[in-house]
Amino acid sequence: MSLRRHGGLAAWILIVIVLGGILGREAAAAEKRLLFDQLGRRLEVPAEPRRVVALAESVTEIVFAVGRGDRLVGTTRFADHPPEALRIPRVGTYIQLDIERIAALRPDLCIGTRDGNPRAAVERLEALGIPVYVTHPMGLASMIASVREIGGLLGAVAKAEEVAGDLERRIARVAAHARAQGRRPRVFFQIGVDPVVSAGRGTFLHELIEAAGGENAAGEAEGYPQYGPEHLLRLAPEVVVITTMTQGADFEAVRRSWQRFPRIPAVRDGRVHVVDAAVFNRPAPRLVDGLEQLARLVHPEIAAP
Amino acid sequence: MNPAIEVSGVSFSYEEIPVLRNITFRVEEGDYFVIIGPNGSGKTTLLKLLCGLLKPQRGILTLFGLPLSRYRRRALARLAALVPQAAAIDAPFRVAEFVLLGRAPHQGPLGWETPEDVAIAREAMKFTGTGHLAGRRMDRLSGGERQRVLIARALCQRPRILLLDEPTAYLDLAHQAQIMDLMEALRTERGVTVVLVSHDVNLAAMYASRMVLLAAGEILAAGPPPAVIAEAPLEQAYGCRLAVETNAGGFPRVSLVPNGKGGPRPLRPAAAATEVER
Amino acid sequence: MKAPLPVVRILRVKAILLPLLAAAILAGLSWGSGGGGPEALFRALVGLPVDDPVLADIFWKIRLPRVLLAALTGAVLALGGLVFQALLRNPLAEPYILGISGGAAIGAILGILAGLPRYPWGSLASFAGALGTVGLLVLFASWKTALGKDALLLSGVMINAFCGAVILFLISVTSDVRLFNILSWLMGDLSLAAMEQVALLAAVTAACATGLFFLSHGMNLLLLGPDAARSLGVPLEALRWALLILTSLMVGVSVSLCGLLGFVGLVMPHLLRLLFGPDHRVLVPACVLAGASYMILCDLLARVLPRQGEMPVGVVTALIGAPAFIVLLRRAAR
Repeated sequence: MSLRRHGGLAAWILIVIVLGGILGREAAAAEKRLLFDQLGRRLEVPAEPRRVVALAESVTEIVFAVGRGDRLVGTTRFADHPPEALRIPRVGTYIQLDIERIAALRPDLCIGTRDGNPRAAVERLEALGIPVYVTHPMGLASMIASVREIGGLLGAVAKAEEVAGDLERRIARVAAHARAQGRRPRVFFQIGVDPVVSAGRGTFLHELIEAAGGENAAGEAEGYPQYGPEHLLRLAPEVVVITTMTQGADFEAVRRSWQRFPRIPAVRDGRVHVVDAAVFNRPAPRLVDGLEQLARLVHPEIAAP
Repeated sequence: MNPAIEVSGVSFSYEEIPVLRNITFRVEEGDYFVIIGPNGSGKTTLLKLLCGLLKPQRGILTLFGLPLSRYRRRALARLAALVPQAAAIDAPFRVAEFVLLGRAPHQGPLGWETPEDVAIAREAMKFTGTGHLAGRRMDRLSGGERQRVLIARALCQRPRILLLDEPTAYLDLAHQAQIMDLMEALRTERGVTVVLVSHDVNLAAMYASRMVLLAAGEILAAGPPPAVIAEAPLEQAYGCRLAVETNAGGFPRVSLVPNGKGGPRPLRPAAAATEVER
Repeated sequence: MKAPLPVVRILRVKAILLPLLAAAILAGLSWGSGGGGPEALFRALVGLPVDDPVLADIFWKIRLPRVLLAALTGAVLALGGLVFQALLRNPLAEPYILGISGGAAIGAILGILAGLPRYPWGSLASFAGALGTVGLLVLFASWKTALGKDALLLSGVMINAFCGAVILFLISVTSDVRLFNILSWLMGDLSLAAMEQVALLAAVTAACATGLFFLSHGMNLLLLGPDAARSLGVPLEALRWALLILTSLMVGVSVSLCGLLGFVGLVMPHLLRLLFGPDHRVLVPACVLAGASYMILCDLLARVLPRQGEMPVGVVTALIGAPAFIVLLRRAAR
C-alpha cells in the first residue's frame, strides 16, 4: 500500500518538476530586474509588471494614486477606494490571504505590507515563483517613500513623483500652521469602541496628532493601549476623535457615551468628532487628507489649510 | 517438593492503614484453597499480593520455591492467573476475542495469534462451557456467563495457580455450584492449584480442601474445613453469634443465631437456629 | 471461532479505508477558490496538457501540501483520541477536551514570544506544553476523588479552560506583532501549509503511529482494567508512559503547525469502533486512514462553504464534533 502511495507521490513530484521547468523557462523570457524591497529583501521583478495583486487596501490606494489601477488583477476584501477598486477580484483579507486565488490570478508581482500580511503567506507566494514586494510603512515619510517605490515598480516614476511631491508640500503646510499655534491641545484618538482603545507612541496616529499640532493624550503608552472610564477622566482630553473602525457600530451612541462625562474638556466644549477610519488607518495618500482634517479639528481657530 | 505458595510473615498497609499483619500459611500444589473472612478483613489484598499486583512491606511470598519478587511479570503471568471480581467490561469485545487476550503472556508484543493460541482459547471456552457464546458481545452477557468467560480467559494463560476473587458473588445458587464445580474439575483433571476468596462460608466449606479464616488482617484459623468452620473462631471473626451444624450431605453448615433483640424471631423457641442465608 | 485473524482484519480495513483516503485526497485537490475541478485534476495527473498552466501550481504547490498536512493532522488527532480513550477507559476522552492541545498551544505561543524559530523549536516547545498538561493530568489521576474515572475528564475540561485563559492572557499582555494572526491559527488554520511542515509532521506521525501500532495490543489489555492488565504480564507504567509521550509528541507538533482542531479524536475512533470492533491492532491503522480522510474533507468544507475567503477548519471540526460529543454523552449515560 505504502509503495503505491509513494509511487503516486513520486509521479506527482515529477510532474511538478517538469511543469515548474516549463513555467520557469517561459518566465525567464520576460525582462527582469533586481531590486530590494522596503524590508531590504532582494527580489527579481518583471521590468513592466502587467498583472499585480495588492495584498492590502493601502497598497491598492497607492497603485491607483500613481495611475496604475488598471494593472491590478486582485485586491483585498475591504479595498473600496477609489470606487474603481470595487470591481477588482478579491483575494481574502490582508491578514488571511487566499493563496490559491492569488495563484489562480497568475500575477507577475504582488505588493504587500509588513504591517499585517503573515510572513508565511509571503513565503508561500514566493515559493510559487511570484515575487512579493513588501512595503514597510512606519509613518508619513515611509508612506510617501512607498508611493515612490510603487511608482518605480510599475513604471510610473513621473506620476509618483508628482503625487509624492504634492503630499510633501501639503504636510509641510500643515506643519507650518501647527508651528504657528503656540498651544498643543491634548487629543484622544479612539479606535476601539468596546473596550476603548487608543493609539500611543510609535503609531501612525501618534505621528498624525503631533503633525497636526496636537499632543497625543495617550502618548504615555506605547502601541495600542486600552482605557477604562476612570482613566479617561484623568486624561481629560481637549479633543476626542473617534474612527469608524468597527463596522456597523453605532457611532452616535459612542459619541453620546462620552456625554456621560461633561467634566472632560472635549465634552464640555463639544469637541468630540467622528472620522472615517479608512482615511486614518491605511498608510496611503489619503492619510494626508486625514492629517488636514485632524489639523482642522485640533486647531479650528485657523483657516482651513 | 516445594509448596505452590508459601507466605511467611507478610504485612501490608495502604499508606498508614495496616491491612494485613504477619500472615503465614502455605498452599500445596493441587489444593482447593479458600480464603474466607468478613468484609474488610483483607482477603482481596491478600489475593493481590499473591499475584504480585501489590508488594508487601514485610515478609516474603514464594511461588514454587522462588520468591515472588524474582519473577518477571510475564513469567508470573504464565504461572499464576487472576480472575478479578467481575466488573462490567466497557469495550464491546466479542467473547472469542476477549478469551484470546488471556494468551498475551505467551505472545509477542502485537499478540498475533497462532493456530495453537486459537486452539487453547477454544479448549478453554469448551472447558468453561462458553463455546456457544463465542460471537456474543461481552457487555451483553449475564453475570454467570461473564464469570465463566473471565475464567476461560485466565485458563488461556495456562497457569499452574488460579486466583479468583469472589467468583460466586451476585450469582444464584445453581450458578454458584457451577463455578465451584468447574474449579474442582480444574484441580482434579489438570492439577491446577485453586486459590479462591469468598465470603460465602457454607459454599467454601463444601468445596475447600484447605482454608484460612481472615479477620482484621490476621489469620484466626487455618487448615481443613472442620478445623476452620468452628463456632469459636467464626464468632470471633464475624462478631456475632453463630451455630455450626452438619447438614444432610455431611458438610458443616454455619447459621446465625438470633439474638432476640429485633431481627428474626425463632420459629420454635427451643431450637436456636433459623435458616438465614449469610 | 469464526473471527478472522487480526492480519486479515487489518487488511480488510485497509481495503475499505485506503480508497476512501484516495478519494478524499482527490476531492481535496480538485476544489478550491483557485478553480480546477476533477477533470482538470485528472488531466494534470495523467500528464495531459491543462488549459491553465497555473492550475498545476495550484494543485501541486498549494493544495497538495495543504491536503497532506490535513491528512497528517487528522491521523494524529484521531490516534490521539484513540489512545486517551484506552488510557482513561473513557469514550469521551480526546486531546482537545483534555486540554492537551491547549497546553501545546501555550507552549507554541511561549516559543513564538521567546523568539524561537518556528521549526523545529516552536514544535518542540509545543511538545513540551503538551507533555506538561499530560503531567498535570497524571498527577490529578493519582489523587483519589469521589468522582472516580470521570474526575480525570473533568480535570481535563478545567485544564482546557485554564489553557484558553492563559492563551488570551498571553495575547493581551503582549502587543507583539508575531502574535498578529494567532487567533486564526488557534481556530485551526491549514491555509498556509508548506512542504517543510508536511515533512516534519510526516516524520513525527510515521514514527509515533508505528510506535503506537506496536503498543496496540497493550491498549487492548488496558481495556480490561489495570489489575487484569498487570496480571496478564503488561508492564503497565511503562506502557502508559510510552503511550503518553508518543501521543504528546505528535499532538504537540500537530498543534504547533495546524492550531487547535477539536473533537476529531472523538468522532473518528468512536465511528471506527462501531464499524470494526474494539481491537486496537485494527483501530490504529483505521484511525490513521479514516482520520486523515475526515480532516481532508473538513478542510475542503472550510474552503468551499464560505461565500468569500475561507473559515478556519477548526470551525468545521467543532461544528461536527461538539454535537457528536453530546450524542456520545447520552449513549454513555445509558
